[in-house]
Amino acid sequence: MATVPKRLGVKFSLIREPQLQPLDIVPIFQRWIQQHTVDGMLIDVIDYKHVPNGPGIVLIADEADFAYDLGDGQIGLHYIRKRSLPGDLPSALRQCFFYALQAARALEAEAPGDIAFDFTSAKISFLDRMHYRNEAAKLDEIRAELAGCIADIYGAPTEVTREYDDPRRLFAVRCRAQAADVDVAAMMERLQASMQKA
Amino acid sequence: MSTWKELLSEQIPAEMGNLIDIYEAQMELRKQGKLDEKVFAEARLRKGVYGQRYDNGQRHDGVRTRELAYPSDETVKGPDTLWDAPGMQRIKIPYGGLTAEQLETLSELADEYSDGILHITTRQDIQLHYVHIDDTPDLMRRLAAVGITTQEACGNSVRNITACALAGVCHDEVFDVSPYADAMTQFLLSHDDVQDFGRKFKVAFSGCAGHACGLVKMHDLGLLAQTREINGELQRGFTVYVGGGLGTVPHQAKVLAEFATEEELLPLTQAIARVFARLGEKKNRNRARIKFLVAKLGIDEFRRLVEEELQTLPSDERHSAYIGNLSDFTYKPAKAGMALNGRPLPDGFDDWYRSNVYHQVQAGYSTITLHTPLGDFTSEQGFKLADIARRYVGDNIRLSVEQNIALRWVANADLPAIYRDLCAIGLGDAHAGTIVDITACPGTDTCKLGIASSRGLTAELRARLIEKINLLPDAVRELKIKVSGCFNSCGQHHVADIGFFGNSRRSGNHKMPHFQVVLGGQWQENAGAYGLAVGAVPAKTVPDALEALTERYVAERADDESFQVWVKALGRKEIKAMLQPFMQLPSFEDSPIYFSDWGDSRVYTIDDIGVGECAGEVVSLFSMEIAKAESTHFEALLALDDHDYSLADENAYKAMVLAARALVRTKYLDVGDDYDNIVDEFRSRFYDTELVFDRFAKGKFARYLFKRHGTAPERINEDYAHQIIDETQLFIENVHSAEQRINGVIVS
Ligand code: SF4
Repeated sequence: MATVPKRLGVKFSLIREPQLQPLDIVPIFQRWIQQHTVDGMLIDVIDYKHVPNGPGIVLIADEADFAYDLGDGQIGLHYIRKRSLPGDLPSALRQCFFYALQAARALEAEAPGDIAFDFTSAKISFLDRMHYRNEAAKLDEIRAELAGCIADIYGAPTEVTREYDDPRRLFAVRCRAQAADVDVAAMMERLQASMQKA
Repeated sequence: MSTWKELLSEQIPAEMGNLIDIYEAQMELRKQGKLDEKVFAEARLRKGVYGQRYDNGQRHDGVRTRELAYPSDETVKGPDTLWDAPGMQRIKIPYGGLTAEQLETLSELADEYSDGILHITTRQDIQLHYVHIDDTPDLMRRLAAVGITTQEACGNSVRNITACALAGVCHDEVFDVSPYADAMTQFLLSHDDVQDFGRKFKVAFSGCAGHACGLVKMHDLGLLAQTREINGELQRGFTVYVGGGLGTVPHQAKVLAEFATEEELLPLTQAIARVFARLGEKKNRNRARIKFLVAKLGIDEFRRLVEEELQTLPSDERHSAYIGNLSDFTYKPAKAGMALNGRPLPDGFDDWYRSNVYHQVQAGYSTITLHTPLGDFTSEQGFKLADIARRYVGDNIRLSVEQNIALRWVANADLPAIYRDLCAIGLGDAHAGTIVDITACPGTDTCKLGIASSRGLTAELRARLIEKINLLPDAVRELKIKVSGCFNSCGQHHVADIGFFGNSRRSGNHKMPHFQVVLGGQWQENAGAYGLAVGAVPAKTVPDALEALTERYVAERADDESFQVWVKALGRKEIKAMLQPFMQLPSFEDSPIYFSDWGDSRVYTIDDIGVGECAGEVVSLFSMEIAKAESTHFEALLALDDHDYSLADENAYKAMVLAARALVRTKYLDVGDDYDNIVDEFRSRFYDTELVFDRFAKGKFARYLFKRHGTAPERINEDYAHQIIDETQLFIENVHSAEQRINGVIVS
């Protein structure tokens, strides 16, 4: 069984660059705090849009960060779970996918038609160099477990590849569902059901 | 291997590792409620672990103040500071010097424990924000493994020692101050004489009098390189400034010594530290910086006391040992110096070359400045920058007090290539050191004391100025802007041509974020003059006010008239009149936008301001020292749990000696670290005099110490370990009670 990393992230990228500017996200995230739009103990919003390819605008919560992320030249919603991760990797992944989807959908609802995510693909980051050095061998070691788990999440077979070659960077994988589109609502329902069961 | 402690045990220097273990044990004691929250707060601050806005569990969300229900519930890491609330980790980078490997480690930590951002401070530190306290011991271990410490990065101690980023490569310097800054860093780190200050103590070195870089005149202790000729030989030394500082009430430092030789540098500093520790204010933190002591005593009396202190200073071979090592401090460029040839140059190169390249005194080499907006860069940039450094300059990286990064020893022929590589990672921005290169403190983004958004304003000003930078006359291009989120001046607004600091005003029933405008400060001549406050303008009109001000300066200045001279000639009254149109306060109903701060859509409030930790709590020296004894006792308990009875004995014994030392140092500061000496002093001062005697048990507990000190145990087993740990506990309690009886209240 693969170790649960100290922190775990899931990022969905936008299909295309939106009209909405990163600065416009600040009031949206501020409102999310007021209205508890996403789950978690939401603390504050921080603006890093001045940093190229950086975390963009970040909604800081106690358990997780929600970033309108500009990293890798791909705008997206990056959910990073920092605390209270479940004790096994499949459960941790399900948890992260669920909250990332919840936030991405909430963001789509803020600017319908303009903000649109590609949910068929996600970047999964393991923020834990003690247990996850960014090496090809690491992916080989956990590929079967990871692919199986992500296939369960998607309800479709998935392809998993390593995201960065640079061994100093975080171990991250790109997963792609072998499907033209995904039914996000069904996916979230499945995730929620399994989270409740756990 | 499953912990960083185990994994890095070989790489971490023993002393650094020990200090981190003590801190980790203190964390555990605090969680169990066994260590006073004020004492722990100061111990934590001295490890650079700082509080952040909203860590009191409250935040105004724009509509109402909401409780932030952190899971830690009642557990606090300091007064009103909840355990689980994210905090800031300050990391000392002495004189800003970094290696490529260190940069990589810092980047890893930003990824794993923070939010992927590294922030450069105005003291050449790196700060990571939104760090959970539970992660800090491992974070420190990973830093220690590459030779970086966070020890005394905050709290009432000697902060990061700064120096010019150009030291060693500058045309104007008298000599390279870097090795001296390095020697002083090592000498003062964890030194007994810097543990009992009422406030922080900031030290800076500068290589010349005329330029800005070192800013010695605004420091508690400023060292300005000088030489003099003695018998035909050039002798190196420093003009020593003392008692400068910004803060609410800025003070220009006074000259304590016109020329202190290399041999005198460290003992003189130690003597200054002793006088400050002994006579500096301890109760009222607002008057506890050394500048107030110097002002109260007068520089002549202060000098006399320092000289007197020097006479009684115990001899220490480290005072002069470093001089023999100065020549080891050399720079290894990655490549041979070479002239820039006439190849086609990349787009944008000329602008960048004009503002970001400094030709070093060493022929064929340049230092280039990487302009990091708001002092921020990402971990990914950090990794790639480490590659660029290795390729072109080796380990010659420095952080600057202007929140930028300097790469030194670039062969001139490589300038186009390095420019291209920097652009590829988003660090090729031109205009370093110009009006767009604005310094800002964290302000309301993360600082508990922030009143207005210094970073929000800075981002706005920067965006507007960049658009027209090429149209600005040189006189405006070269101006310096600095922004602080409150009067505490962490953004150094006093020494900018144009400074701003946050405050607030009321309009109707609403508060409106404002910035006080401070004009005519001097960055040159080591922060040679402080600016004049001329009036507060609403945050939202600052950009327009700035434009009006600079336009008028350009229109009215005489040839080559500096901004400072122009401001002085114009006078406060006239400037205020010029700013008047920007000072109008519209009503909330008419212009709600005025009632939100830059970069923040919430309706503005000052309800989020908390209690700052800049100074830490004023905690007595005894409290800090006895806390070390308690955490060492705790480590003995852990060793007992691990069935490592020898280690349990070793730690228990050490804890007793530390407790005795804590008490001895209330009367005799120079007791040192030698166990025999400590026990002898304890015996004669507290046991023979019966001062440590318990009302009923008399000298029984002290005898536990004498017993263990006199005879090493013959057999160490579980029972023995239990017993000595219990005895240690009783002895520590005994020392506590004795201290209260002898010296009164422990924690002020
Ligand atoms: S100047 Fe004020 S707001 Fe800025 S960091 Fe210092 S205390 Fe905080």
